Amino acid sequence: MLISRVWLKELLADAAGFDLGSIDDDGLTRALTGLGLEVEAVRATGAGLSEVVIADVAGIRPHPEADKLRIVDVSDGNQNVAVVCGAANVPAPGGKVLWARPGAVLPDGTQIGHRLVRGVSSPGMLCSETELDIGPDGDGIVVLPGDAPAGRRLVDFVPAVMDTIIELSITPNRPDALGHVGVARDLAVKLNRAWRPSNRELPECPEDPGLVELRAPDRCGRYLGVAFVDARIGPSPLALRLRLHRLGLRPLSNVVDVTNLVMMQWGQPLHAFDRARLRGGKVVVRTARPGEPIVLLDGRTLALAPDDLVIADSESPMALAGVMGGEHSGVAADTTTLLLEAAWFEPAGIRRSARARGCATDSSHRFERGVDHGDGLTQACASACALLQEVAGAKPVAHCYPIGSRPAPRIIDLRPARTKLLLGMEVPQPEAKRILVGVGVLVDDADAARWRCTAPSHRPDLEREVDLIDEIVRHHGLDRLPMQAAVPHAPSRADRRTRARADAVRGLADALREAGLHEHVAFAFTRPEAVAAVVDDTPNERTIVLANPMRGEASVLRTHLLGGLLEAVAVNLARHGRAIELFEIGRVYRWPEHTSGGGPKRVADCCAPAWTGKTSAWVAPKDDSFADGPDPEPIEERTRAAVVRASGSADNTHLDARSVAADLLGALLRLGYRARTRATRRPVPWLHPGAQAEIVRDDGTVLGRYGLVHPEVLEAFALAGDHRVAYGELWLEHISERRSSSFVALPRFPATSRDASFDIVLTVPSSRILEIVDHAARLGQEGDDPPRVVRGDRGDGAIEIIDDYRGEEVAAGRRALTLRLHYRAQARSVTDAEVQAVHLSIITRVCDELRSLDPDVRTR
Amino acid sequence: MVRTAVFSSACGAPAPAPIVRVVSDSIDLDGLLTRFRGELAGTEDEAGLYQLQVAYLGKKGQVTALSKSLGSLAPEDRKAAGERINAVKRACEEEIAARAAELRSRARQRELARIEDVSAVRPRALGTFHPITQTRRALEQVFGELGFDIEDGPHVEFARFNFDDLNIGPDHPARDMADTFFVQPAAGSGRMVDELVLRTHTSPVQIRTMRARKPPIRIVALGTVFRRDDDATHSPMFHQIEGLCVDEGVSMADLRATLYRFVGAFFGRELEVRFRPSFFPFVEPGAEFDMQCPFCGGSGCSTCKSSGWIELGGSGMVHPAVFEACGIDPERYTGWAFGFGIDRMAMLMHQIHDLRLMFDGDIRFAEQFPC
Repeated sequence: MLISRVWLKELLADAAGFDLGSIDDDGLTRALTGLGLEVEAVRATGAGLSEVVIADVAGIRPHPEADKLRIVDVSDGNQNVAVVCGAANVPAPGGKVLWARPGAVLPDGTQIGHRLVRGVSSPGMLCSETELDIGPDGDGIVVLPGDAPAGRRLVDFVPAVMDTIIELSITPNRPDALGHVGVARDLAVKLNRAWRPSNRELPECPEDPGLVELRAPDRCGRYLGVAFVDARIGPSPLALRLRLHRLGLRPLSNVVDVTNLVMMQWGQPLHAFDRARLRGGKVVVRTARPGEPIVLLDGRTLALAPDDLVIADSESPMALAGVMGGEHSGVAADTTTLLLEAAWFEPAGIRRSARARGCATDSSHRFERGVDHGDGLTQACASACALLQEVAGAKPVAHCYPIGSRPAPRIIDLRPARTKLLLGMEVPQPEAKRILVGVGVLVDDADAARWRCTAPSHRPDLEREVDLIDEIVRHHGLDRLPMQAAVPHAPSRADRRTRARADAVRGLADALREAGLHEHVAFAFTRPEAVAAVVDDTPNERTIVLANPMRGEASVLRTHLLGGLLEAVAVNLARHGRAIELFEIGRVYRWPEHTSGGGPKRVADCCAPAWTGKTSAWVAPKDDSFADGPDPEPIEERTRAAVVRASGSADNTHLDARSVAADLLGALLRLGYRARTRATRRPVPWLHPGAQAEIVRDDGTVLGRYGLVHPEVLEAFALAGDHRVAYGELWLEHISERRSSSFVALPRFPATSRDASFDIVLTVPSSRILEIVDHAARLGQEGDDPPRVVRGDRGDGAIEIIDDYRGEEVAAGRRALTLRLHYRAQARSVTDAEVQAVHLSIITRVCDELRSLDPDVRTR
Repeated sequence: MVRTAVFSSACGAPAPAPIVRVVSDSIDLDGLLTRFRGELAGTEDEAGLYQLQVAYLGKKGQVTALSKSLGSLAPEDRKAAGERINAVKRACEEEIAARAAELRSRARQRELARIEDVSAVRPRALGTFHPITQTRRALEQVFGELGFDIEDGPHVEFARFNFDDLNIGPDHPARDMADTFFVQPAAGSGRMVDELVLRTHTSPVQIRTMRARKPPIRIVALGTVFRRDDDATHSPMFHQIEGLCVDEGVSMADLRATLYRFVGAFFGRELEVRFRPSFFPFVEPGAEFDMQCPFCGGSGCSTCKSSGWIELGGSGMVHPAVFEACGIDPERYTGWAFGFGIDRMAMLMHQIHDLRLMFDGDIRFAEQFPC
């Protein structure tokens, strides 16, 4: 919304007796901002135009060197000069034009001086509207009416040329501020001036009940229709054109310009119909018939719906009410009779129409926020009638003012004590009353503790007591709020589980960062193909699809973190050659499993709030669709921690997927989880079939998976299939808190180690061999305090793999896997002999067990 | 090592019976010592010294053999011969120890003469947290100290919690398809397309919290939010923090004081906080809040575009309609809420100008923010 300072000054002088000249632009900006009318930009206009004067054309001569140029003799009353001009519309001698004398500076920065134009010196130039930025017309020079006084400076002839244009951002609750009157009224209160409402009378002319037929009274609260004759359509006077141009509107013809000017003044959109084109000479306010066609001013043809409100003549719609006129509804050059519409339409209906039709106009913008259905509407209509007479000679001949369901005045009780409580400060009661009255509220303070207030029709946002309190503090000044001590009197009440969970996630992130990984934050939405490339089972319908994505590559919610990390790998590979080590902790999204697509049908079927883990100490209000207790989550959101490691160069054969497992196991250990790894029980299709494994908790719960990314998946993310990328992920739903450890006495006696080497096929995973060894080692030994295998559950010398040999002396497809076991007794030192015996018995058992997996297994 | 050499002669398998020669005066102990000294001077390391020790003083060593042959001497000669042998043995031991000390000293000098230039190093490859995470943690820390609980909610949210219960009615412009991402229900689910949204702000956490808990409530919710916007300063996904305080007698003055304290604690300096009236459907009165620029302290700099102030976010007193939607009596309780962008705060603190850099995962970007 653009505001003209000059206009604001006129309105404040007229209605509040205030001279805005005493406040500079900075002060005005501060005052408006302080009122919640946010200033987005301030632009001074007309500064360099003081040397532009009205000049008389005295003669026109051809240019000796150019056919398209002419030499125009002009006079400003003091001097006669010959100016070179290329415009085709130079008026005949006696015509009035605008001459920019040497010394003038045009708005685009052009310095005007004496200039040689094709060999002829020209002192300054004759200007068009665009050159002076006083209008949209750049086709020819400005030609003023014959009575314009030659020698007068433009800035004296039309003072509004020198103006400050302020761009305001108006919040949707303030339709009144979408016109200069509303802004001026607010300012008057801020400046402590009484605002006198305007009381221009509607024109005196006979009532004609047939002029307006209101068939949809629930959609139109008031309709002021005034018929005119003898209108002469033509361009508006310069001052009017200038004002519209300054406010960002294009001047068209006098009648249309008047409706626009009144809209910018009162915030009330108007429409002027050519009455001669209205069949039956009247308008009908009704809803559309299904499929009824209309061609709008912008040329679009619409098929209307019964929810659309239209202004029709006796036959068909002439305008989409409050949104846009029809193609033939408006005035044309030959129009002489008018029907002026000033109305209040029900806001929600206009909003639905505008949105459904994709037509956001200045008019719908105001109607859907709620224009004034009271005095403001009357005044806007009266202003327009007066202006139409003034600039177009139109005579009002008939009127019709039907009334539909108009909003009732809103009565609001205001308790001064409540004001104090809510604000934490006392606003003196006379001040509070002055403010309310100033913005138009009727205040009955007979009961000092409970003021009976009536909200004005131009403030549809004033609905409740808090809205009045807002008005009071807005004008009194938010900067006066004291900074009262907000002592935390509420102890922390967060659910223990919520907190534990957050703590665990934080600890995990700490550990991953310490492992040298950089945190990545990827978008939650992705391409459908990115989801399809990384599925565990069959491609599923549990993917969340956006109804209105911005782009196809961001149309579904991610179901895994791998894709985002691979995309980041690709970004890094393209930009530099360094190792890429990233982690992300983020959510993945799916429909809950039991609904298998489409989501839960009832709220009761939704997920339990799995990751918030909230309990309800207090029963939420009963409701049809929401059950008591914790509120459900609409879909399944799971938190994942993922790690990716990739080389920045093609030479990356050394990359071992175990590195990411080490990152994840280390992070788990930081949380107190002694997890282990094992070969995947079910192959993960998006990992390399020969390089994948899973991470399991001591109770067997799978916590995550890792491995080399499958070449086909790499290719799906624009990476070379032979580029090795190690990826691992943890499922945080199983890691809900840190675990504490209890102390176990340190060993007092030394351990002795023995190695064992197995020649075995590669298809038996080393994790399986370790499991078998661990199982065998746990079986009891004879004797009192026998040597036992030290197990790794406390991190001190687990069963280790010390060699994994493939090559000479080992057949293809087989390997020699060497393990080291440590033996210790609890209360004594062990001897070589007894360790040897125990070791042999364990290895024998292990071999027996392994034989079921590989009949050719042997120890070396 | 020397210690090993000396003690090792005490262990090992028992030696076979020695072939003893009679020690007599004719045996040249001085010659033996001379020979020993010659060999000792030739030793250059621990191993050579050990060999020498074994050769002379070990179980089968030359000096030991002499001691063992004492028994074959005439009793009257034994004492004198024994003394002489012992003297030689002590001399050998002492000279070996001296030589060992000398070799150690030389080795030490050689070690110290070695030049190992450690003057140029590369720091250990440390990982980094994303600037958003760093800012988020700092915010959690400060608000935790101010007595706030930390909450979060789902990213895919009921339109009811994201809009209706926050006093954003069905016709509100914010619900436009142009601003909000809606979730597509699958055919046959019976759901309407406007039922589920990607939350457009963290404010639905207010609703979830007030539905689940009775006042007093003091929470902050930090998390990911989504809007249909995409340019250098707007991302379709970004992060917000939301604060909510509900209790009896909570006022807008408390809100201002809390924001003032937060800004002071977060930036570590006294900074003014100011309100500008504004409108958000879920608060009334509503205000945007600015802080004095933390970089120039309000005197004007490039970050605050010479205004001295930085716009932070929105705030206000919880609208009674929101309380009613959550079953909280708006007559008994009052409350305030505020919210602002975490990404914006991170960009401000690190002078990052293009939001899109934040989400493409370039490690060279990450490395610029080690803490």
